[in-house]
Amino acid sequence: MLVVELLFAWMLVIAFLAFIACTFEDLESDVGSQSNPNSQVQLAAQVGQVHRFFNKAISGEPLSNAMYCTVAGTTAWILLQKLEPIVPDAKWKAAVVAIPLGVAVAAMIHIIFSITAHCGRTAGQKRFEQPIYLDVLYGHLLPIATHGFMTTFCITSIAYIQSNLGTLAGDPRLNHPFALPLLAFIWGITVGAIGSSTGDIHYGTEREFQDRPFGEGKRVVYHGKITRYAECGVRTQKDIVGFCAKFGGPCTGLTFGLIILFENYRTLIGMELARFLPVLPADLPFVPDVHFATAAGNMSAVWGIVVGLFIIAALLVGNMVFVRWVRKKYGPFVGA
Amino acid sequence: MTVTPAVVEEEEVTAPKKGLSFKFPFAETELGLIAGILAAIITIFTGLPAVIKAVGMLLAFVWGADSVRKTSKYGLGTGVPSIGVLGIGYGVIGALMGLAFARYGSVEGIFYPAVLIGVLFMGGIGLVSGYFSNNEKFIAMKIPRLERAMMELGMAGTLVILLQFSIVTGSLRFDAVVDQVMDTGVIAFMFILSCMGMFHPYNACLGPDERRERTLMLSLEISGLISIILGFAMIVLGTSPFGLWDPIALIVFGVIVWVVFYRRFIKACMKECYATVGTGLIKTIG
Repeated sequence: MLVVELLFAWMLVIAFLAFIACTFEDLESDVGSQSNPNSQVQLAAQVGQVHRFFNKAISGEPLSNAMYCTVAGTTAWILLQKLEPIVPDAKWKAAVVAIPLGVAVAAMIHIIFSITAHCGRTAGQKRFEQPIYLDVLYGHLLPIATHGFMTTFCITSIAYIQSNLGTLAGDPRLNHPFALPLLAFIWGITVGAIGSSTGDIHYGTEREFQDRPFGEGKRVVYHGKITRYAECGVRTQKDIVGFCAKFGGPCTGLTFGLIILFENYRTLIGMELARFLPVLPADLPFVPDVHFATAAGNMSAVWGIVVGLFIIAALLVGNMVFVRWVRKKYGPFVGA
Repeated sequence: MTVTPAVVEEEEVTAPKKGLSFKFPFAETELGLIAGILAAIITIFTGLPAVIKAVGMLLAFVWGADSVRKTSKYGLGTGVPSIGVLGIGYGVIGALMGLAFARYGSVEGIFYPAVLIGVLFMGGIGLVSGYFSNNEKFIAMKIPRLERAMMELGMAGTLVILLQFSIVTGSLRFDAVVDQVMDTGVIAFMFILSCMGMFHPYNACLGPDERRERTLMLSLEISGLISIILGFAMIVLGTSPFGLWDPIALIVFGVIVWVVFYRRFIKACMKECYATVGTGLIKTIG
């Protein structure tokens, strides 16, 4: 028997997990200087500023996060295949063991790739006299792995919940058609993309360049300055994580969490409005079929899109009002 | 009165010049020919044990990483990952095309020569896209030898994906691949880790002092990692005709490859970088 309240409850759990995941994703990319900040770290040595930063150039954030999450999802799937037959009555027990173990494997792979990226990039910059500082190498691995663990754990949990959503809410026919590793892959790409696009803006740059006028573009002269000094002593990325954990990380998490929340919300509301939800069609197949479509099912898609458009319109108006308020408060851009 | 000098942040480190630690014997063309032909032969004989298929996959990865290096050497910085993803994207499409032709002239479970149509097709597509991006009438990127690099990228990507399908399913039948690779979601793992195997070597070693041998070692290391996890997937799916020893041999092979090349890579990096020091402060040069 399908319980609609349970569906909404699991949707909120997924949104909450997404919030945590993207918060830690942003902080993890700050520990390791991935994506956009990485170009500053890469450039610093080339403009003559030998630094003590970790150069985690695995790839862009979306791809590398997709990798950790997919490894975690695949390992969890392998373990679930073996463990679920042992406890057929309470499959959640298998998940409780399988997901953390899978994520641990992903964390190990994360460390392996981080080491190769840092060592490889530093060796590739020999002529700029950038040495490999072993304390920098070892000291950053654990923060990288733990932050990555949190992200990957949340994403794998989301993928598990989604691929069993119907079973958890009372009707297995509402399970997600995609398998666990595939969902982990998709969510990994998404969390990396949001972490890269929103999180990079709130990297340590705004602290570094606080003495510049608001809105000034960063000139090439300042490139690499980000690797110099913190409030006390030589700056490392651990300072940046501490700084970003106050605003940048939660802000990024909020972005991703809201995206997940609105997306799931509009789908479920659409299904409710089209009267598809409380009682599913009796002949709805277990494996989704392209040729199976009911009037209620089509209407739920239409209602979902309409609700989505309303949400977009509300966000647009809210953003415009907010930006106008900010411009008024902080004055016009200079130097543009 | 003694004046305390300012904090000395310059720390002169003299790095002794050391010889290069590992030479790769083949030039680019030789590597492409040897790896391509061997990998293609291993691809069509699907009755082989998984370890031999993993050797073919390893060769295809080295070839692919080498072609990513060829493509990206002329100043691609942040674009390196996209080249690798492009290669594996070619690979997935080429592999599906090859699978569609697989039943022609095949011996069930042992020999599938027609999958190479997908490989050749992707080579053609790579050549055409390389031509369009280089030609002055179209995109005019004017990257030297881009056509050839793109062609090799497409072929290596297709061989990588086909070999992984062959490892996991034990055959190259379309329905077996759909059931055991796509429905289970293992394809996501194959896709992203193959992308890593293609682009991570050059992306991680990027810089003016990048060296080909060091870069390619990394590709071997990643294919070792892939072998380990594919071995576990094989155990769960139970697809191997040789029983449990096949995946276990694959896992052992993966661990050995990974340990050997990971150690070599890290040692090479630490030897060949400017200096490897326990700790030190920042300094400004020039």
